[in-house]
Formats: sequence, structure tokens, C-alpha cells
Amino acid sequence: MDALLLAALESGPRHGYAVMEALRESTGGRLDLPTGTIYPALHRLEAAGLIAGSWSLVGGRRRRCYVLTEAGRSALSGRRADWRDFAAVISAAIEGAPWPTTA
Amino acid sequence: MADHRLIAAYRHDLLERLPAELAEEVCDGLADTHQHYVRLGQNPDEAAVAAIAEFGEPATVVDAFRKACPVWRLARILVTTGPIVGGMWAAGLISEQAWGWPIPNTARLAVGLVLFASVALLITAMRTRRYQSLRRAAIAGGLGIAALDGSVVVTALVLAPAFGSLLIVATSVSAARLAFVAGSLRGCVAKPVA
Repeated sequence: MDALLLAALESGPRHGYAVMEALRESTGGRLDLPTGTIYPALHRLEAAGLIAGSWSLVGGRRRRCYVLTEAGRSALSGRRADWRDFAAVISAAIEGAPWPTTA
Repeated sequence: MADHRLIAAYRHDLLERLPAELAEEVCDGLADTHQHYVRLGQNPDEAAVAAIAEFGEPATVVDAFRKACPVWRLARILVTTGPIVGGMWAAGLISEQAWGWPIPNTARLAVGLVLFASVALLITAMRTRRYQSLRRAAIAGGLGIAALDGSVVVTALVLAPAFGSLLIVATSVSAARLAFVAGSLRGCVAKPVA
């Protein structure tokens, strides 16, 4: 979940609903999360310093947008690498593919 | 534009249980979702039902905020590890025959009351469905535990005639817990809504 949210913010600032839209597009609509639970997760990432939030006025409505911090970019890179290793190991185990090297 | 009545009821429900800023942010997204379904051709009633189904019921959203709240995790950790720390202190104090230490009965009673109140507050923080109550109870409970840790460590340092290994372990664990609670609470004070 955290890596998905960080990845959705990689291309630029987004508000909560836009983050969900980005996730939906990137997963072909197959990600089925209660959208309301995205917001607490964003606040948790903000408290951890991985993203930064700020309020702005859009169309007369106050809207909170989030942007990836440097720590968030670094965390995203790490989680991508972890996920690639994990996926490669599981693929090797269930498909009989060669065991991946971790260099 | 005025919210659909179901969206307005959702907002009202959230405002009762979450700080206004959090409720406002969620409802901004809910209004977008409602508009999205209207643009897809649904009538406003159907669109409101679909938007709420997509977001999750208010209780689901509030529960997710509760569990993402740093002080909720603090309360859970303190309640879970409390019996272990208490056991260490019991072992340490028995090994030092602490019942003979010159401590006034009022002080012993105060420690017992603070411990009881702190545990009650932390359990309340874990169980309440209201975010603000959760924050207040967890912060008060955490402060109570920190005060207890500080006072028992100082008391042991001053009154224990010989500092045995069991008491060293208990004071070390309490000092570590004191630092952990202080760090957790400092983050909450710096960002009041989180």
C-alpha cells in the first residue's frame, strides 16, 4: 500500500482522489480499496516524512495536495528493489524459473 | 454547489468523529467521486450511493484514521508491553526487598492510582471510535506511564541499597520506554492533527 501511494505521487503533486485515480489507472482498475482509507494512509506517510501535504483553494474548495519528499523518493526506490527481489524469488519458486541473483 | 443529502449526511457523520480538517479532506474526495459518477450518466442519488460504496462507510474511514494515528500505536504498544515491564519491576523490587524502603503510604497509593488511571486511559484510547478522544486519552495515558517510569527509576536509584541485575534490567527497560514515549508524544505535539 505505501509503495503504491508513493509511486502514485512520483510524477508530481496530487490530492487524495487523484492519487486513487492514478492507482486505478496504473492497475487497470483491478485495485479495489475503499477510497476513504487512502487518506489515513497518506497522513501516515506524511507523519513519517515520506510525503508533504499542503492546503490550496481549487474552484472555491479547500483541497489538500501531497508531494513526494526526498526521503519518500529514496523509500520508493528501496521498496521497488525489495519488490523486484520478492517477485523474482516467488516466480522462481512457483514457475520453476532460475533462482534470481541479488547482486 | 450544495452537497447531495447522502454526501452531506456522510460529512456530518465524519465531522462528529474526526477533526474538521480530516473530515473536510475526505469529503472533498467524496464530492469528486460523486461528480465522477454523475458524469458517467448516473442520476445524483445513484451517484451518491456509488460514491459512498467506493469510499467505504464513515466507520471504516474513521477506523483507518484511528489505526494510522501515531498515538493509537503508542497506546497499543504500551498496553501490550505493560505486563512484561510490570513483571520485570516486580521481580526487581522483590529481589531488593523493596517493601522495606522508606516510602510514605501516600506515595505508594499515588503510584497505584496513576498506574490504574494510565492503563484505563490507554485502553480507552484503543477502543474509542472518536479520533479526538483517542488522541486525548492516549496522550494522557502515555504521560502517566512516562511519569511512573521516571518516578520508579529515580526511586530505585536513590533507595536501592544494592543494585541487583533484575533491578538494572527493570530500570533500563523503563528508561528506554520513557525515551520512546517522549519521542512519540513530541511528534504528536509538533503535528496536532496527526
